[in-house]
Order: sequence, then C-alpha cells, then structure tokens
Amino acid sequence: MSREVSKTPESVKLESSEDLQKEDSNKPPNYKRISDDDLYRHSSQYRMWSFTENNLRERRKQTNDRAVSMINQQLGKFMEENKSTLTEEETNTLNVKASPLSMEEELQLINFYSKKVQVIAQHLNLPTEVIATSITFFRRFFLDNSVMEYDPKNLVHTTIFLACKSENYFISVDSFAKKAKSTRDAILKYEFKLVESLKFSLLNHHPYKPLHGFFLDIQTVLHGKVDLKYMGQIYDRCKKKITDSLLTDIVYLFTPPQITLAIISLEDEQLISRYLGLKFGKEDATEASKGESDTSIENKEEDEEKEAKPSEEIELNKLLAILADCKDKLEKSLSVTTDEAKRVAAKNYYCQNPSILLQKLKRKLEASNAESPNKKQKVEE
Amino acid sequence: MSESNYSKEKKVGEGTYAVVYLGKQISTGNEIAVKEIKTSEFKDGLDMSAIREVKYLQELDHPNVINLIDIFMAYDNLNLVLEFLPTDLEVVIKDKNILFTPADIKSWMLMTLRGVYHVHRNFILHRDLKPNNLLISPEGLIKVADFGLARAVPGPREMLTSNVVTRWYRAPELLFGAKHYTYAVDVWSIGVIFAELMLRIPYLPGQDDMNQMEVTFRALGTPTDKDWPEVSSFAGYNKLQIYPPPSRDELRKRFIAATESALTLMENMLMMNPQTRWDTIQCLESEYFKELPAPTDPAEINIFAQKA
Repeated sequence: MSREVSKTPESVKLESSEDLQKEDSNKPPNYKRISDDDLYRHSSQYRMWSFTENNLRERRKQTNDRAVSMINQQLGKFMEENKSTLTEEETNTLNVKASPLSMEEELQLINFYSKKVQVIAQHLNLPTEVIATSITFFRRFFLDNSVMEYDPKNLVHTTIFLACKSENYFISVDSFAKKAKSTRDAILKYEFKLVESLKFSLLNHHPYKPLHGFFLDIQTVLHGKVDLKYMGQIYDRCKKKITDSLLTDIVYLFTPPQITLAIISLEDEQLISRYLGLKFGKEDATEASKGESDTSIENKEEDEEKEAKPSEEIELNKLLAILADCKDKLEKSLSVTTDEAKRVAAKNYYCQNPSILLQKLKRKLEASNAESPNKKQKVEE
Repeated sequence: MSESNYSKEKKVGEGTYAVVYLGKQISTGNEIAVKEIKTSEFKDGLDMSAIREVKYLQELDHPNVINLIDIFMAYDNLNLVLEFLPTDLEVVIKDKNILFTPADIKSWMLMTLRGVYHVHRNFILHRDLKPNNLLISPEGLIKVADFGLARAVPGPREMLTSNVVTRWYRAPELLFGAKHYTYAVDVWSIGVIFAELMLRIPYLPGQDDMNQMEVTFRALGTPTDKDWPEVSSFAGYNKLQIYPPPSRDELRKRFIAATESALTLMENMLMMNPQTRWDTIQCLESEYFKELPAPTDPAEINIFAQKA
C-alpha cells in the first residue's frame, strides 16, 4: 500500500509561506499567515477521508463490484462442480438466497454493525473520543473492504482495541479480551489489515472540540442573552447527537465545525441563527467583529473565492446553505432494523457458503418428508 | 506492494521496538531510512510508540520535521520510510573536532523552534525533545524526529503521565509529577538544548530523578509561590533545598559568549512557572533572532569533523 504523499497544491503553498518569522521587510509579497483552515486542509482526515457524494458512492461501488465478481466466480465454480447432482429446487434456492449483496445491502450491514461498535464500546465504559474513533475506524475500513470479504463481526473488537491505543487509552489485549469476552487472537488477527486499510491515517478530528469551542463563543457573542443552565442542557444533547452523526456519511461530506453547527441548530435553530447573524451578518458587523474570527467553517468552499476576501469574512448565506444541507442529511439518515440486518447477514453468509445453504435445504426437505407420511397416516386412521 | 520500491542496504541502528536500515528509493535513487517496527515482539499487537509515530507524522508536513515518505507492510512488519538524515545535534555537540559559531547555534535554534511551532500549532506535544532527536539533513536542516512519545494536547480535565521526556531535558512541572501540563514542557527542553549548544556539555545532567531536581534548582533557582503560585503544594516540595535564582551576572559568567538577548531568550524558555514560560511564537519573535549575527545559512554550517 503506498501512502499518497501530501504534495497537493495546498501543501506547496503552506511551505512557501513558511518563513513567517522573518523580519517584516523580508516577507514575500504574497505573505499570508497560515490559518486553522489551512491546517485542516492539511490533515489526513481532509486529504484522505473527505469526499463528495459522488466520490463516496463511486468508492463503495468499486468495493462492492470487486466483491460481487469474486463471489459470482466462487458460486459459478460451485454450481459447475455440483452440476450433475443439483436438483432444480436446489438451483432455485441458490439463485434466490446465495446471491451477492448489493452496495445498499452492504451499507445496511455496515450501519448495523457500526451501531454495535458504539454499544459495545459504551458498554466497556470507554471515553467518548475512543468510542468516536472506534466507529470512525470501523466505517472507514468498510469503505475499501467489502463485508463479503471481511465479516464485520470479526472487526468490531479489533477496531475498538486499536482505537484505545490510538487515543492513548491503553488496555492490555488480555484484559480487553476478558472484558469484551473475546480472545487475543481474534482481536489481533485483522489489526494489520485494519491499519493498512486506514491508510495509516489514525488522527481524527471529531466534532466534540468544535462543540466546546462554539459553546464558549456563543456565550461570548450572545453575552447576557442566553441562559447558562439551558446551554448546559443542550450541550449534553448535542454531544450525544454528534456521536450519532459519526454513524452516518455526514462525516465524509462536511467538516467537524459544519457538523457541529448543524447539530446545535437541530437543537435550537433560533440560537444558531442569532449567533451566526451577529457574528457574520452584514448589518451587525460592528458587534460581530468583536468576536474572534473563525475561518474553519469555510473549509469546503473554493479556494479562489476565499482568497478574494479577507480571511475573517464568511459569507453568511453560503454557510447557512451548507448547514441546511447538512441538517437535511442528518435527519434523513435512517437506522437499520435488526430483522433487516439479520436478513442481509444471512444472505452474506450463504453467498459465501452455498454448500451450507444446500445442507440446510436438504435437512428441511428431509424433515418435511419424514413428517408427511406420519401426517398421512394420521389422516388415514 | 511498495516494499519493492525500496532497498534496505545497511543496518544502522537497533532500538527496543525498531531496526533502522539505510537504503534507496529505487525509482529515484534517493537515500532513505527504513524504520522496521518489530511487531512480533509485542504481545499487545501494534506497539503504542509505533502507533503514535505513524499517527503524528502523517499529519505533519514541514521542512523542520522529519518527512515520512511512505509506510508499508512486509512479512508482518510495519516499515516506515523516512528521509535520510545522516547526523544529529548530539553527535555534533559531542564531536570536539567540529567547530561551530554563535550564528550556527542561532540557525539551529531557529529551525528547531520553527519545527516545534508547527508541531504545536497542530495541537501535538512532542514530549521527548533532546539533541539526539534533532536530526540534521545533508543540506544542514534540523528535523524534529521521534514521535514515539507524542500525544494530542490534553483537554482541560485530562490526566496525563508525568513520566515523559528524557531526564536532563525534563521541565520542573514534570519533575514535580504534575498530572496536567501542556506545550511548555517542549519549550523547556529546547531551552536546555540551547544552553547545551552554548556550553557544549549537558547543562542539567541529573543522575537520577531526585538529583535532577537538585541539579535543576541549583542552576536556575528553586521556584516559590511568588513566581509560581501554589508550587509549594506539590508533594515533596517541602524537602527541597531553596536556592536563589541566578543573577544576570552569574549567567553571563556561565555563558561567556552569549549576548544579552540570547540570555533573555534562554531565561524565558527556562522559566520555572509553565504559565509564564514563553511559547514558541514568543521565542521566534524574540530580539535574539533579529540582532546580529544573522543565523547561518543551514547549508553553510559545517557539521562534519574538521581536522584541526
């Protein structure tokens, strides 16, 4: 696996403006101090794990296509080898129940197991950031690996264990295995594969820090106009919603501060519109300029537009449109029912193990054959 | 399959968790170093130091931070492909055949501070700065290396271990066993390195952890509640010998070649109270870097032994 080296145009820009400590007179003509926004663009989360919706779909499709053709090949081989003995009923059952999963079905299974990762990690009493990283690692793994190649249930503990280490929350593998009721070998078996699939990118920017920052800033900008007790209550609710948002594709499409603002806005739309209006609106520019500038919101906006304006200035309407889009997608993300997940999991199992499906079919037929004469007898008697 | 892109030619070092080889990038012929992490040695899977190193180097791209060129897996080992850096500041300081000037020291300090500033503005603490971890490129550039002890800047209530940083470069708050600390621990280390560059011998060479406090406070004064509120509430404070801080004159006598602004920079990096210790920006903007002599162009510093 080769790491994509970060020589993007941004990085070149960053290095060339690096001489920031030179004396004023020596500053290059296009001198610009590096903003938090520049730094975020440099992060592996932005470089490797941020997508447009099309990119994301394309990537999942590729993964699914690869696995589907592998499964079809295996199934074809199985059918060929057993051609002489397969009954019509068996062939039908295979066609119906042992077909490879679609991209949508894969996603259902991944979503179901992501939730499981969260529940198990919470059950293990892990800190919020570790839980968040577990979910993130797990979902990233299945962007490039299919559930038909790696059974998601085999990666649940592996991702949680790696997340613990990566977030500096060390637990020995033995005590982790004991707590999680698993084994050392099962936990470590796919650790390498996991790290490799994560493209060795382990540092996550979760929205919890922006949440803290925005709450402080909202209280500054709306000083005296918000009830602190109320703020404390919605803070906890927002935190929970952030963890839920990590179970969705939102994290690939928006930046952490965008997600945070959208989530606060879902809790209290008025609060956010008042805050952003004061901070970035044109009319109240005087009051807004008192607050500290926060350029990290405009991450996804185009470079040219950004450069045309002073870096503090954020176009409010554009920001509001991004937030509306983010809110819309957050509200539309659906959870998967256990029944649906079970169905997909069974299909996943049978398409990889057609012989077991046939055995099951045989047993069923035998059982009903064994039963039917008895029934007949009963009727005759 | 990127293992075939690199050759390992010579084993140059072996640590507790890695073997380092010199080699070449086949496609370019460039010299590189391959750090092979001995994963099989660890019963807990991938080692924490390896995870930290990979995690932070992935995020850092700066002329004064070691460049992680590639990572690959081969035979169940994790291999980090790093830029080739032939020497380090410890070797240079120790080799008495190498002569260097105050302008050379200024150049190294400038590059070190720029690198660490970049680490800090990415919300990362290095936690093991020492001359041995400041590597030098063939072009003379300082490269901050070894992120095996690094971590993210802690949140306000997060508890950390104070058992970090090699002893001689350990800040007083760590010596006191503080459970919470921040960027200031790295600045302290750079301050001690600065002194060592001027003296050409280790500045605060404690023999053990207790002796490190003694050595540190004898040289720089024992902190009191006046300049560091509540420092006396640390466990063990009462057993300390109280030394007065050195006067400017005493410092001048110890650091004969240092200018006044060099001493000011050093004093502020070695401030006992981490709250008032300078951050990397204050250091970089200090008078020391503005006054003459100008820092030597890195390529002009002769870091290889000169036969006298």
